[in-house]
Amino acid sequence: MKLIRSNPNSLSRVSDFDEWFRHPFAGLPSLSHYFGNLGEVFPGVTSDKLAVDVHEDKDNYFASFEVPGVKKEDVKIELQNGMLTVSAEKREKDGDNESSYSLTRSVSVPDGVNTEAIAAKLEDGILTVTLPKAEHRKPRTITLN
Amino acid sequence: MNATCSPSTSAPATSGVTESLRKPLYNVNGSTDAYEVRVEMPGVPKSGVKLDLEDGILTVRGERNATVPEGMKALHRELSPLSYILRLRLNTPVDEDKMSAKLEDGVLSIRLPLKEVAKPRQIAIQ
Repeated sequence: MKLIRSNPNSLSRVSDFDEWFRHPFAGLPSLSHYFGNLGEVFPGVTSDKLAVDVHEDKDNYFASFEVPGVKKEDVKIELQNGMLTVSAEKREKDGDNESSYSLTRSVSVPDGVNTEAIAAKLEDGILTVTLPKAEHRKPRTITLN
Repeated sequence: MNATCSPSTSAPATSGVTESLRKPLYNVNGSTDAYEVRVEMPGVPKSGVKLDLEDGILTVRGERNATVPEGMKALHRELSPLSYILRLRLNTPVDEDKMSAKLEDGVLSIRLPLKEVAKPRQIAIQ
């Protein structure tokens, strides 16, 4: 399974910067907002990239995304041209101010996934997309006659 | 309000056991009668949250149940499996009995009502 950044035109360094900023200054509460909003300030540079884990068992692939504070109705999952794109609209209330920014990530769907049966659930701020393998891709044993 | 909650540098409460924890992203908002702390802890179920206020230090722990189920193979990893810890030193008297917290969509919201003495009040001129 191959993973592709959500914005292929963006400098790959941008995401490194994001990591770098997030750790040493994690104690500054609002810093992540500024970087989350970078996409709005400089359109086309980046919108915050969702982190993803991909797991596999014999029947399914699982893609897990971290989306704390995102409601079910603010998550959009699209499948197009073999790419699974997850967009999450994050709304934050800061007293009277409300801000929102979107997080997105695309994952290329491997061959042999039963695209009709893709399912997703949101639990404790983790979005899990289940991509079932098509029958003919599952491992099977061939018995000798 | 910036000084109300400052990250505490006190020694870890658990001794003897070494464990890796990370600090979650958080926000503190204040109003005249309460402070609201929002902590992002994706992957932590309600049962994994431990809240503790002692000696003016608020400790939030979130155990993540990110253990990969049996028979699953990781193909790509970006999410950290580490559990969360956040320590905040409060310098305002907080009404401990009225503290409340809720966990929703991986975000823990803690409400810390101020004690009466700490609330601003108006003094009428006679």
